[in-house]
Order: sequence, then C-alpha cells, then structure tokens
Amino acid sequence: MANRAIHTPDGFRDLYGESCMAKRELMDRVREVFGRYAYENIETPTVEFFDVFSSDIGTTPSRELYKFFDRDGNTLVLRPDFTPSVARAAAMHFPDERFPARLSYEGSTFVNSAELQGRLKEQTQMGIELLGDASPEADAEVIAMTAEILLAAGISRFQVSVGEVDFFKALADASGLSGEEIGSLRALISSKNFFGVEELLGGFAVESRLKEAFVRLPNLFGGPEVLDEAAAFAAAPREKAALERLFAISRILEARGLSRYVSYDFGMLSKFNYYTGIIFSAYTYGTGEPVAKGGRYDNLLGHFGKEEPAVGFGVYIDQLMSALSRQGLRKGKEAEL
Amino acid sequence: MRPITIALTKGRLARKTLELFRSIGIDPAGADDPDTRKLIFENEELGLRFFLAKGPDVPTYVHYGAADIGIVGRDTIIEEGKKLYEVLDLGYGRCRMCVCGPESARKYLENGEMIRVATKYPNITRDYFMNKKHQTVEIIKLNGSIELAPIVGLAELIVDIVETGSTLKENGLKVLEEVLPLSARVVVNQVSMKMENERISDLIRRMKEAL
Repeated sequence: MANRAIHTPDGFRDLYGESCMAKRELMDRVREVFGRYAYENIETPTVEFFDVFSSDIGTTPSRELYKFFDRDGNTLVLRPDFTPSVARAAAMHFPDERFPARLSYEGSTFVNSAELQGRLKEQTQMGIELLGDASPEADAEVIAMTAEILLAAGISRFQVSVGEVDFFKALADASGLSGEEIGSLRALISSKNFFGVEELLGGFAVESRLKEAFVRLPNLFGGPEVLDEAAAFAAAPREKAALERLFAISRILEARGLSRYVSYDFGMLSKFNYYTGIIFSAYTYGTGEPVAKGGRYDNLLGHFGKEEPAVGFGVYIDQLMSALSRQGLRKGKEAEL
Repeated sequence: MRPITIALTKGRLARKTLELFRSIGIDPAGADDPDTRKLIFENEELGLRFFLAKGPDVPTYVHYGAADIGIVGRDTIIEEGKKLYEVLDLGYGRCRMCVCGPESARKYLENGEMIRVATKYPNITRDYFMNKKHQTVEIIKLNGSIELAPIVGLAELIVDIVETGSTLKENGLKVLEEVLPLSARVVVNQVSMKMENERISDLIRRMKEAL
C-alpha cells in the first residue's frame, strides 16, 4: 500500500525545478499575447454552484465533475472549465456599457475522468472571452490569437481547425428529426463515420437534399476550398449565413497572413451544447488531443440573465507543454505524472 | 518524412488487413511473418510503420496518438468509448454481439427480472439492458470462455460475440437477442487526421477502393 502521506492522488502532481520554470515561462508568453490584444484579467472562484455547469448549459458530463456539499446541502463543484464561470461573473457584475468586454483568465480546472488514462485531472488552462461582439471580426480575432499563442510558444507546425455548429444545427432543425436522433447523428458526424450516418438516415424519412448534406459533412474538411464545396449545396438562408461567416473569417485570416495555419471542418461538432456558431480546435504533433479549444456561445450569458453574444477559447497549458517537449522544442523532459 | 503508424488488432483482423495492404501495393515490412519476434515493422520508403496489439489496446494507442491509424472491431471501439474518428467499415470480421443462454433462460428477458449477465463487454451490456431494455441486471465481467457462465450457474445469461454459433450449440446455448452487428473498422486519431490529412485520406481512399 502506498504511503498516502507522501504521494499525490492519481491525476494530480507536483511540479518543480526545470519543468516548473519552463511552464511558468510558457505562461508568460501566453500572457504577453493576451496583453497585446488588451485583454483585462478576471478571477473567478475555483468552487461554483453545480447549476453553473449543469446539463442545460451543456458542459462537462455530471459524472466527471468533482462535487461536494456545503453546510446548507447545496451541491458545489470544482470548475471543469472557465467559460461558464466567466460568463456568469460578467452577466452578474457588468453593466451594459461595459460591453464589449475583453477578459482573460488562468488557473486550474478539474475533471474527474476515468482512472489509469494517463491524463491529468487538474489541468492549467489559460484563455480569453470576448463578450458583447457578434461580428465575424471578433471570431477572426480570437482564432488569430490562438495561432499567435502557438507561434509565441515556439510551435511552427500546427493547425487551427474551424467548424460552424450552426451549419449543422440549421440542417438538423430542417430535418424534423427528434432531439435524440440528432444526438446520435451528431456523434456519428463528429467521429467522421459517414457510413454510420448513411445507415442511421436510411431508416428516417428525411428530405434527400438534407440526407446528402449530412453524409457529406464528415468528409468536408481541409483548406478554404471546402468552403466552396459547402457553398455548392447550402440552400436555406440559415445555412448560407453560417457559411458566409466562415468566408468572412477566412478573408480576414488570409489578410493577416495566418491562412496556412487554419483549416475548416464541417464535421467538427462539440459535445458542449453552449456553442452556437464557430468552434475551433488547435492541433499539433506530439499530443493526441487538441492543445486549445474555443468557439462562439451567444446564448450562454442569457442563462445568467444578460443577453450578450460571446466568443472565446482556452489553451490547455499542460498539453502544450507535453507537445513542446515531444517535439524536442524544450531541453528538459516533462515531469512524470 | 514523419512515419504514419498503424496499429493492427492481433490475429485474424491483422492477417486480413495485411493482405489488403499487399493488394494495394503496400509492403508491410515483415509484419505478416508469423514467426517474427519483432514488435514494430517499418516500410521506410512509404513512410509507414505497423505494429500488432491486443484489440482493446488499439483504441488506446490511437486515442493518444501513439498510432495514427488503428484497425479494430466495432465491439472494441464501442466498449472502450474513446474519442476517435471511425472512417471506414472494412466489411470483414463480420459477426454479431448477442444475448445468449439456454432456451429456458428466455423468460428472464421477458419479465424484466433482476438477473446476472456475464460478459467481456460490460459497457455494451450495461447500455443495452439499461437504455434499450430498461431492465436492471447485475453484470459479471469475465475475460474468456464466457459460455461457461450459464452452464456452471455463475450467470443466467451472457452477452458475447457470435460468429457461427457452433460453440454455443455444443454447450446447449442459443442466441436469444441480437445487440449489435459488428465488423472491422479503421479508426484515426483526431490530431493525425488534421496534421496529416492528405496522406491519411489517400491511404483510406485506396483501402476503400480495394474492398
């Protein structure tokens, strides 16, 4: 039996010496990019009421939250993610004239994931939220920041993959499928399982135009040319509006010389229900999972009593550290879990 | 060029898949030699690496990006529940996940009693009984020879893969309900798919054409 007095629980670790210094130095570089775009700091508590992360907001599944009770019997959670907390704080404290607001945060997030997966349960996240700006320029700004952070970290080979959940939602709403059926469809499309999509839709009376579109979504990813491919079959106004936004973002990123770091993926759909428009993930070698994730969530502040659009992203600092060391971009070796 | 690493499920799936690779002009660099003790095989010219692993480990290798591509049965993908891109149905390795037992046990499926079910696939079993049949069951995880469980009285029913049904028959068991149809699938790591889109998509397209 391990001596509990000196060991850390599975998924939690000490960080010291060279690794700790390298992490702090990386965080300084990320902070410098936040500062370049004039984002102000915000701190929210580590512990929130369960309601902030509940299923109608659509975030981390309840069984992966660290939950406990306060003295009055309320359920509390350790934050699994910053976005709902920041949205809650801004909705609560900011008068209308404070918007648009540019906020940046950093700290630990806690996800009680399955054991023995080699994954940290406490992870450092740094990110920003741009609240009160619904324009494609705002979307492009946060995507550009994501790319600049990875460049500032010293990574040159990476891809920021951008999707549009409203494109899928427009098709889904027009299809007349039930919520549960749309859920299975979403899962199949986001795992790029187009034959599964064909099989599932085979059993439903869905308009053939929509069926074809659903089957194409999993394979619709790559450079800006996939936007043209989507334009060929987008018909309803809502589909066209979603697509037009991607075109607008792509033009801005092109003008800023970032287009080689950006690709598009119509099959990227998040399990976080709060996203309403673009979503994106940043990928690089040396880590099997994204190093940053973000998107637009125009209804989330509404849950907390303030109708403001919003877009933002978070960088997973520990993932980024392991990508850096596996790409040989760091001298030291990542401390063992 | 960074090699693309392919994890194959040891056994028949690997043999079939290596034949498929040969048929599209990809030499698996000795991975199909039955007597070899090597663990990893590299075709440097094509920038491909192959290794063999136990089925349930294949999704793990791919999930973490230790392998870019995996060849694995659908049962394993569902049971492991990892976030992977599932891009191609290879069509072979076709079989069914079924609820089996002696004919006398059929009544347990009809009156929703609390029963014991033995299986190698606790997640698939739990999902089937909870969400599809709305029946409470006690799941007993075994690692092999599942057919033994109802015979010796460890469980009333089993959930297992059925190919021809001959093992069942010899032991006085039969298929009572079908849970899922199964076959071999190609899975891809989500990061690899984005970073190496051209090479991976090309490989998958060629495999698909050869099926």
